[in-house]
Amino acid sequence: MKTSPKITVGKGSCGIAAGASEIFEILSNTIANHAPDVFTPSVSAVGCIGMCYLEPIVNVDDKTFIKVDQKGAGEILKLIKGEENHAENYEIRREDLEILSAQTRVALQNCGIINPEDIREYIEKDGYTAARKCVLEMSPEDIIAEIKTSGLSGRGGAGFPTWFKWQAARNASAGNSVSPERKAKKYIICNADEGDPGAFMDRAILEGDPHAMLEGMLIAARAIGSDEGIIYVRAEYPLAIIRLEKAIVQAREKNFLGENIFGSDFNFNLRIKAGAGAFVCGEETALIASLEGQRGMPRLKPPFPAQEGYRKMPSNINNVETYANVPWIIRNGGSKFAAMGTENSKGTKVFALTGKIKKGGLAEVPMGKTINDVVFGVGGGIQGDRKLKAVQMGGPSGGCIPAELGNTQIDYRTLAQTGAIMGSGGMVVMDDTTCMVDMARFFLDFTCKESCGKCVHCRIGTRRMSEILERICGGEGRDGDIELLEELAENIKQGSLCALGQTAPNPVLTTLRYFRNEYEDHITGRKCTALQCKALLSYNIEPKACVGCTLCAKKCPAGAITGAVKVPHKIIHDKCVKCGECVNVCKFNAVAIN
Amino acid sequence: MNEIKITINGRELIGLEAQTILEIAQNNNIEIPTLCHDKRIEIYGACGICAVEAEGSPKLLRACAVHASDGMVIRTDTERVLQNRKTVLELLLSDHEGDCLPPCTLACPAETDCQGYAALVAKGEYGKAAELVMEKIPLPASIGRVCPHPCETACRRQLVEEPVSLASLKRFIGDYNIGRTAPCAPQIEQESGKHIAIIGGGPGGLSAAYYLRLKGHTVTIYEAESRMGGMLRYGIPEYRLPDSILQKEIDIIQNTGIIFRNNVRIGQDTSLEELRQNHDAVIVAAGAWSDSKLRCPGEELDGVTGGIKFLYEAATGKIKPETFKGLKIAVVGGGNTAMDVCRTAVRLGAEKVYNIYRRTRNEMPAEEIEITEAEEEGVIFKNLTNPIEISAGKAPADRPLTIRLQIMELGEPDSSGRRAPVPVSGKEETIEVDMVISAIGQKLNPKGFEELSMTKWGTLIADGQTFQTNFSNVFAIGDATNDGADIAVSAIGEARKAAEAVNKFLYGQDVNPSPKRLVKTEKTAEDFNDREKLPRHKTPCRNPNERRKDSLEINSSFTAGQAEKEASRCLACGCLDFYDCKLIKYANQFDANPVKYGVSAHNRSDVKNKETLPNITQTPEKCILCGLCVRLCEEEVGEGVLGFVGRGFGTVVMPAGISDVCRDCGKCAEICPTGALMKAYQ
Repeated sequence: MKTSPKITVGKGSCGIAAGASEIFEILSNTIANHAPDVFTPSVSAVGCIGMCYLEPIVNVDDKTFIKVDQKGAGEILKLIKGEENHAENYEIRREDLEILSAQTRVALQNCGIINPEDIREYIEKDGYTAARKCVLEMSPEDIIAEIKTSGLSGRGGAGFPTWFKWQAARNASAGNSVSPERKAKKYIICNADEGDPGAFMDRAILEGDPHAMLEGMLIAARAIGSDEGIIYVRAEYPLAIIRLEKAIVQAREKNFLGENIFGSDFNFNLRIKAGAGAFVCGEETALIASLEGQRGMPRLKPPFPAQEGYRKMPSNINNVETYANVPWIIRNGGSKFAAMGTENSKGTKVFALTGKIKKGGLAEVPMGKTINDVVFGVGGGIQGDRKLKAVQMGGPSGGCIPAELGNTQIDYRTLAQTGAIMGSGGMVVMDDTTCMVDMARFFLDFTCKESCGKCVHCRIGTRRMSEILERICGGEGRDGDIELLEELAENIKQGSLCALGQTAPNPVLTTLRYFRNEYEDHITGRKCTALQCKALLSYNIEPKACVGCTLCAKKCPAGAITGAVKVPHKIIHDKCVKCGECVNVCKFNAVAIN
Repeated sequence: MNEIKITINGRELIGLEAQTILEIAQNNNIEIPTLCHDKRIEIYGACGICAVEAEGSPKLLRACAVHASDGMVIRTDTERVLQNRKTVLELLLSDHEGDCLPPCTLACPAETDCQGYAALVAKGEYGKAAELVMEKIPLPASIGRVCPHPCETACRRQLVEEPVSLASLKRFIGDYNIGRTAPCAPQIEQESGKHIAIIGGGPGGLSAAYYLRLKGHTVTIYEAESRMGGMLRYGIPEYRLPDSILQKEIDIIQNTGIIFRNNVRIGQDTSLEELRQNHDAVIVAAGAWSDSKLRCPGEELDGVTGGIKFLYEAATGKIKPETFKGLKIAVVGGGNTAMDVCRTAVRLGAEKVYNIYRRTRNEMPAEEIEITEAEEEGVIFKNLTNPIEISAGKAPADRPLTIRLQIMELGEPDSSGRRAPVPVSGKEETIEVDMVISAIGQKLNPKGFEELSMTKWGTLIADGQTFQTNFSNVFAIGDATNDGADIAVSAIGEARKAAEAVNKFLYGQDVNPSPKRLVKTEKTAEDFNDREKLPRHKTPCRNPNERRKDSLEINSSFTAGQAEKEASRCLACGCLDFYDCKLIKYANQFDANPVKYGVSAHNRSDVKNKETLPNITQTPEKCILCGLCVRLCEEEVGEGVLGFVGRGFGTVVMPAGISDVCRDCGKCAEICPTGALMKAYQ
């Protein structure tokens, strides 16, 4: 008799977007209707394994099937039933598996492997043993010492030593600024307001392994002496919220949350607060204001949240990935974590690979790997085997690192020297078709729109920078615009109150540092060498290549192309709207853009 | 609380542990600007203008928010700090729309606060209005009568119907001032012991003397004529500006303690050099008293004279009334002087007065009202004609004189933008007259001023900002300088600015004026389409047949009722908060350029369409989002009537739908650093 195979379907947001729900339905319904007496395979949903470019992904025991469509699901069913099948057509290629083998998984260890909606699967992976140890065997000081040994630093962006924050919150007197009607207490807050465009590692953890994060919070609560936690998660992550809610309910049933946890006198309760999607609410003081029902605007520090946070009480705020590392560190020891990485940056870091990369998805690597290791080793290189131009690290607050600095080690200090930052780990990969001015414009536009409006520098300064970039890309750049950008950038960095403003000019400053010539080309040469800025492009038909098929003239929405059958066509520039349709339809490559 | 020592700009100061850097600085009279901080409410730290440098801190620190600690070393005067202040202001100004000053004030060469005096007249406060006008124009009754009022040309009331009668209001104020028992007597500063000579007792010289006297200096005016007043007395005819009115205003100026020395002509009775030696500074305000040449054959003839000379002779009685009875007079020129000459000739009994002008009426530089009134008085306009020869028959004394006139037409626009007159070949006309008066321009009589550098047009070269000549202690203003003759109020404006420069010069300071930073905005009729149309009040003018027979003033002043009604037509389109506005104060202090980043203010139209606060005027386009009103209302007043709406660049402040709970305490308006919230104008 056959043993029942274990079948999993990747149902993270990426998988669902690729059609995983349908595949899951097909597989589970068919299997449920199948004669259950023969064998009883189980189909379970798991989170994202990180190979987003291969979704939907189905695993049957140790076999991985990718890009599974309806037909593929049928083949996989045949395979399960032992019938003749062509499931091998869907099997993952060896080189794609390298994306996993090149990684070291700590925060993502269970993602894509366990069913996040079933606490038993997490427990099977030694889940909550770290929390048990912390509650029953370790003193808060021991816990903080262990975290200190690990060298873990905040994964949300700033990279501040986690133990230090915990220590500060532990040492803060809860009675400090407490109004008489409120009980003195401390708070543990999880920042799950992942907002950088192109960053989705926190979502993957929340959707794929929520208990790891909950356990991390529990340990932090024990360390600082808190009995209440709040997860501030953006409302744009509905699946994460559902899975978190389920995880909290299940953890409560198991008494990992609630009163007298593990039979001790330690109590800890958790609740979820959905944020309404303001990028600035990822800034901790703005996050606290939002939790309190105020306008999400940062305030000056000090006092730091560890001294005066939520409801003016000591609060520890870490992000999802930071907390998710904690159980591993307790289970395996801080020194094992510290053994990975570089001198100033310990452990691993999850990166979200997007852009012109072949294997887009999540990659967790030890600190100290180079950018090239990640882009070419894990990510498989550039789409279409084009040339790597630069990598934007750290989202809109980060900066670009040019291809020639591809051997830069990924750690907090080295990245900072390039003008970029680690940030939350977003890595947008750009090839030679990316216009760096346009890229800077995109990010500036983002931060400008996400500015809370409090500080003058950020509110108006980013707007003015954005306008200047807009006009440079629009072919109306002026002499002195580069200097104006630099002046504004420096002043905004200096004068803004929170990190959003202080880092907003980074994309401009780094592109100016590494790609100044592109700015000059736009302004003085009135050309965009990457052929991206429409206002600077001109479309022309090469008379020798044009056979006069008339197709482009027919398709041109602006009626800007003249010519007759078998006569080379011509583009009237005054009428051309630069939509590129002629390029798309021409079968003879006769339309040149310059 | 523990005492701490901190150092600010090298000064060791004692503060308390819980105090912010700003508090300690303020307690020790060290100015740190702030736009969003107030002691009554919680620290906010939004504007960032208070940022200072602290030793050991790579970042600038917000002085309003950072608590001082023992041993802190702060600097508030480094380049980084000043650059930050400038940037904050330039960014705020790029999102701030309004008019610091109304267009009337900006158009006035003397920068008169027209909006201010209109408001005071509307409230019946004529005395205060007189004081206000005298700050810029010490001869309001005279100037109110003769000024071609660039203020009215710029007045935005035209976007509703017609400009406010600002000149007539000024005349009303001036008349009120000279009519009362105790006219405006400004405070004179302590005697400085400095002595200044003014050459010329016209509007420029009198004004310069007045403003320098107010500073406590000893001032002597040296005037060639027997009486003060210059062109106001000897160039403007009695029917426009009665001698008695002018004299009363000159008396007020003299009563401040200015020494008048009449009948002293430079280059004859004394010399510029002598005055230079004997005074701490000299202002040359000699005017332009020589008529320009006609440059046509026959102009040397006996019956041909110049307009300035003619008006002088008429004013001094050298030409007796009725002298021109039965005579035909030709006046050449299209400016205000030509009109004065024509109309004076009419009053001297001339049978016919021709005005000869080579372009059309549209191009005439004279005021439209002057032309119209001259026409009403019977002046015959011969436009598009140009004298090419004047002849006298066989003997030079033979009359009539014959003027050959070339017929002209308009060609292409010239450098002045006006269409140039071109002769129509072969077309001529002759007229016969008894006298030709040419009023085509006037120049400085250079005699006595040879020491001073001159332009190629024979005017004195004076610096456009400081009015200094080639001698650092000699300043020059008015018709005698640079571009030559201009309207009286220009000379008055230059006089006040030159007085400021002289005052600085006397104390060894930089004579250059500090640049004035102002916010300006374009307005259209649409911006005022909520205003009721109200007719413009004009000062009544006497019947032409009556007025042409005498030299009495042709029109009368407003009654108090008319003046108040007319004054209340003022749109008050200049910012009412200008003199209290912290934004523009700092912009000037830190030399922030309001248009460095262009001006593209965010849309605040939502605020205007929503409910308003009682007794508060909201001008949302001036809001700089400092949040003081919002926070004060919530924290200090305890109501939270105002709130932020929207995010980022588009944020606006507006009543949060509960303006009925507003207690009408007005604190929001008081704390607003700009004119965005103001107590409603009563």
